Amino acid sequence: MELIIILGVIALIAVFVISQYNRLIRLNITVDEAWAQIEVQLKRRADLIPNLVETVKGYAKHEQSTFDAVVTARAKATTATTVADTAAADGMLTQALRGLLAVAEAYPDLKASTNFLSLQEELSTTENKVAFSRQFYNDNVRSLNTAVKTIPSSFFAGFAKVTEREFYEVEDPQDRKAPNVTF
Amino acid sequence: MNFRTMQAANRRKTIGLLISMGVLVWVVVYAAMTYFGSSTAGIVPIAVGISLVSVWGAYYGSDKLVLTMTGAKLIQESDNPKLFDLIHEVTIASGLPMPKVAIVIDSAPNAFATGRNPEHALIAFTTGILDAMDRDQLQGVIAHEMAHVANRDTLVSAVAATTAGAIAILSDMLTRMMFFGGGRDRNREGGGNPLALVVSLVILILAPLAAMMLKSAISRKRESLADATAVSFTRNPAGLRSALEVLAADSTVVHQRSTAVAHIWIESPLDAKSVSKLFSTHPPIAERIAVLKSMESLG
Repeated sequence: MELIIILGVIALIAVFVISQYNRLIRLNITVDEAWAQIEVQLKRRADLIPNLVETVKGYAKHEQSTFDAVVTARAKATTATTVADTAAADGMLTQALRGLLAVAEAYPDLKASTNFLSLQEELSTTENKVAFSRQFYNDNVRSLNTAVKTIPSSFFAGFAKVTEREFYEVEDPQDRKAPNVTF
Repeated sequence: MNFRTMQAANRRKTIGLLISMGVLVWVVVYAAMTYFGSSTAGIVPIAVGISLVSVWGAYYGSDKLVLTMTGAKLIQESDNPKLFDLIHEVTIASGLPMPKVAIVIDSAPNAFATGRNPEHALIAFTTGILDAMDRDQLQGVIAHEMAHVANRDTLVSAVAATTAGAIAILSDMLTRMMFFGGGRDRNREGGGNPLALVVSLVILILAPLAAMMLKSAISRKRESLADATAVSFTRNPAGLRSALEVLAADSTVVHQRSTAVAHIWIESPLDAKSVSKLFSTHPPIAERIAVLKSMESLG
């Protein structure tokens, strides 16, 4: 009888340890997948840019500084590797693209061209996908970091070789700007 | 209340309602045994069995079955790239796999989701909703449908339908037994308390009604939950809110061949005025808009 109880308790503990370990590993894999998704979407956006710049150039030749800003930001974004660098370059590129689209506003012929319209749709869906993959990544990092820091899962983090991960924080000057109040 | 606490609250309420369903089954069985004697316990598995077969057949074939019941046609990415872009955005936000997509040719704006799990999910839109909505609104609608997929609402409604069905069959069988002399058991056991007999009879007659009400209540909770989950995907309550406003302003109704699938649409295809609140599969649309507005004010 005692033997059965002891074996039962051992089995329960084993199930508990395994489930905690697996949960941490699962969370870690999800964060990796979410990161891969961000990279896929950023790559997609980078691939769109040369085409977009060429199209805008065809109608608006004198906006060289805007083109340069986009090209530089794209170069930075494609070479970044760490989370923080990628996030910073991503923010810059978003900003530069906003400038490019603002330029396009001034050229009615460009805005009416079918090529530009389809590129614009491509770009807006890609921007959304980038934003959503960022959000999905950050949500998963939040769950992982909570698990790594809270009891009881924190006891198994070292054993599972799972550590806290870095949030993907985009510096967007437009988000931080205080609203203009005029009376 | 933000979308996280709202999701948790709606989940708790669903569990509460499913437990009430279980309790109702138990009460019906108890009433049957009081009225007819313990030998009737044998018909319980029969009723549950019949209900299981009918509902779970539908559950496994839910994507195909609903396609034929609603007249929806599957489409490919090349048929509507913009719609697929939007759906792809929501799959990234939710981490769900890409669902199958279908179109219902109907000018009334509406949409639904089905499928027994995220891998077999199907979402469908009427041509009316695709014409009537802008990008943000459509994204809200897609997020609501994908939320049903993420919350496994096909499973929840299958469970609810099975229990409600079992109760209906059970009550039907017992009522027949009553008229065809099944009550003989009672005499053999020496009668029993007459008050208990009357109460049991009332329970047997009212049980299917109560089961229907519980089933509708579960459906309403799942709709509110899907709204909250949709916001957790897009973080944009304004999009879904304005989509619901478009649906509320539109008085046309999808030409449904069957009321059996009424609960799967984003806006109830049944005329809201003819269905009382207790039996309605959807919360009032004004209530849903108000809840989303309160989420918007949170920023």
